[in-house]
Amino acid sequence: MPNQRTTPSAAARMALVGILICGALGAAADDRVHFVIPVAPGGGVDGTGRAVGRTLDTLGLAGAVSFENVGGGADRALGLFVENEARFRDALLVHSTPLVIRNVQGLFPLGFRNLTPIAGLVADYGIFVVREDDPAAHWEAVLRRLSEDPASVIVGGGSARGSLDHIVLALALGAAEVDARRVRYLPYDGGGKAMLALLGGEIDLLSTGLGETLSFARSGQVRVLAVTAPARVGAIGHVPTLAELGYPVSFANWRGVFAPPGAPQETRVSHIRRLREMTLSEEWQAALDRHGWQPLHVFGPDFEKYLERQEAVLRVTLSELGFSR
Amino acid sequence: MWEGIAAGLATAIDPANLAWVALGCLAGTLIGMLPGLGPITAIALMIPVSYSMEPAAGLIMMAGVYYGAVFGGSTSSILINAPGVASTVATSFDGYPMARAGQAGRALALAAYASFSGGVLGALALLLFAGVLAAWATAFQSPDYTLVLILALSSVAAFAERGLVAKSCVAALLGLMLGTVGADPESGVPRFTFGRLDLMDGIAFILVAMATFALADAFHLLTRGDEGEPRTDAGRHVRLAPGDARAIVPTVGRNSVLGFLVGVLPGAGATLASFFAYTFEKRFTSNPACGVAAPESANNAACMGSFVPLLTLGIPGSGTTAVLLGVMLSLGIQPGPRLLAVDPGAFWGVIVSMFAGNLVLLALNLPLIPWLSRLIRISRPVLIPFVVAFSLVGVYLTTLNDFDLYLMLGLAAGALVLRRAGFPLAPLLLGFILSGMLEENLRRTLYLADGSWGTLAERPLTVVLAVACALVWIAPLWRRLRPGHRADAGSGQAPGES
Repeated sequence: MPNQRTTPSAAARMALVGILICGALGAAADDRVHFVIPVAPGGGVDGTGRAVGRTLDTLGLAGAVSFENVGGGADRALGLFVENEARFRDALLVHSTPLVIRNVQGLFPLGFRNLTPIAGLVADYGIFVVREDDPAAHWEAVLRRLSEDPASVIVGGGSARGSLDHIVLALALGAAEVDARRVRYLPYDGGGKAMLALLGGEIDLLSTGLGETLSFARSGQVRVLAVTAPARVGAIGHVPTLAELGYPVSFANWRGVFAPPGAPQETRVSHIRRLREMTLSEEWQAALDRHGWQPLHVFGPDFEKYLERQEAVLRVTLSELGFSR
Repeated sequence: MWEGIAAGLATAIDPANLAWVALGCLAGTLIGMLPGLGPITAIALMIPVSYSMEPAAGLIMMAGVYYGAVFGGSTSSILINAPGVASTVATSFDGYPMARAGQAGRALALAAYASFSGGVLGALALLLFAGVLAAWATAFQSPDYTLVLILALSSVAAFAERGLVAKSCVAALLGLMLGTVGADPESGVPRFTFGRLDLMDGIAFILVAMATFALADAFHLLTRGDEGEPRTDAGRHVRLAPGDARAIVPTVGRNSVLGFLVGVLPGAGATLASFFAYTFEKRFTSNPACGVAAPESANNAACMGSFVPLLTLGIPGSGTTAVLLGVMLSLGIQPGPRLLAVDPGAFWGVIVSMFAGNLVLLALNLPLIPWLSRLIRISRPVLIPFVVAFSLVGVYLTTLNDFDLYLMLGLAAGALVLRRAGFPLAPLLLGFILSGMLEENLRRTLYLADGSWGTLAERPLTVVLAVACALVWIAPLWRRLRPGHRADAGSGQAPGES
């Protein structure tokens, strides 16, 4: 692995992080939980980590809760987390589907197998959106247009080519036997900016996560044609699932937490116990509602199996799209 | 709407909310003044405070932290040439030379009054036009963004001092190249990272800004060493010079409008606004007072403008507003098209509170000026190590990565060489800041255009922007070719003269 670290700098970093971030939150107790967030503040992964930490704190399920946003990109954060087990003994790394995607694409050697999966907590399902004045009233109408001339519809998404929103699109089109490689996909820096491009007319169809654009999906300024959830989602109850429309596809962008590799059995058990208890609480339900998230709630070995299944799906989809190596 | 504003007024003048806005502004402006710490850090540090608060009060306070940090951000740009946020880079162009000439107090006072006016005018525009302007944010498409970014880079290079146009272009290109380090925005493939994870996310803005401005300047002073002590009358000019107030009124007026409009565009925001404000203002005047007032009124107005997409569309235009969006969600406020209907108290309350917030900021900042301007009187052998230490610590606290410190020293050495060779560094920093956004929009534009130039003529907005880009290059040439207009280039002071 690149990124070898010397002991003094790691110690200095620890001291600094300790003073800056944990300091205000009181002395570390035995059952403290330190959330390592591999992105800058803002966005879904950061929001998930902070919401989980805050709920644990409110419920008194953790002695002390602290957060650390590691700069320099998710790959670097993952590398640090895997290599500095001692420093991150009590820590939970917050991550999401790109952990699996980048690994399958061959862009980064570390993946969920280098971590100890603790819990998948939140699911964000993909939605397909058109403008309110678009003549396509149903998902079928879009599919018909795409199968007649794949280049006629410009699709946008909130993530890079070959990443989340593009994959969801490819899965949905694959089920309808439309060649996703011939469809024009434009990447934007986040679902919000892609939504603006849809409203402004630069793209015709938007593939994005529900959480990022919930207020729009509810506002009636745009029309949500389908959702990739296994069952209808309460917040947008009028929108059919792909499965209902006859395309047996469901896909979630999960967000969950991981312990460092080789975390001892008792740490694993105590993390799972407190998170399981948290997911049963009203406070957690309220947090899910506030952010427009759907519950996932898979723990330990079940979470690991979930990730393995997703990895298998992604391997097929990405190679069909020509993105895996 | 007027009922909403009345309800917002009631929320905003609630004594508890007034106290929260004051606290938010105080925290924001103090954190923002520190070199290397900007609005993102300020908001992130205040998140735990907001947890237990009422939603409207929490939003009012956190918004105060945001514009408070923008308000205070000019301090380190002016005093030690260390812009902590991209939007205060342009303030250092005239502000730092003023401070070094013994007028630190005047520059800080100008920045404070201009920030206040920009903030108040921006808040007023937000109050009156928030709903209407959401459409303005969706009017801009990828070709338009591409042209706006090219316009910004062109105007900095084309309006450079006489004889420096070519060197400015080279510097801007170097900045664009530095910006390509890291994961490809379209495919996630690493570029120019030499296999190092430290470079995967690109080079941090704060690192490049501190290396090319504060550190390069400190090294420059150290290695030359003969310029004498700074003037000792520094603390005396704590107020505006006579005539300043009258000179900056039109400047502040037009740049607040410009700043607000550019600030509404997601992603463009305060940085572009301040650069546009500076370069265009310098076309009309060489008065350094206007050179400070223009970017400061523009970036504070732009900060207010960035609340338009945030509140009415629920779309964060920048890293800072993304954090603010997270705060709003965790407070239980769902910004977006329905906020106005669901939670009018919070919507109008936060806007009305901005007027109180800006008054608080002015009252906080003005009395600090005599103290701050004394910093510049510290003798150079003491001040320079402080500047170096502040720059290094500021960058380390942002990334917590020791690799970045070596990278920063390397870049500073490179910047010193460029500076000695007569290359201006501002275009380099601007090129770096805009690089990612330009690449992303240019690639989308080219993909959509399918190799045809027709895209440029498709929509009126695109045509106007393309013509503006062309004019920026043609105008100075045309002026130079006209006989009789060659003699007026004697002053050489203002970058705008040709």
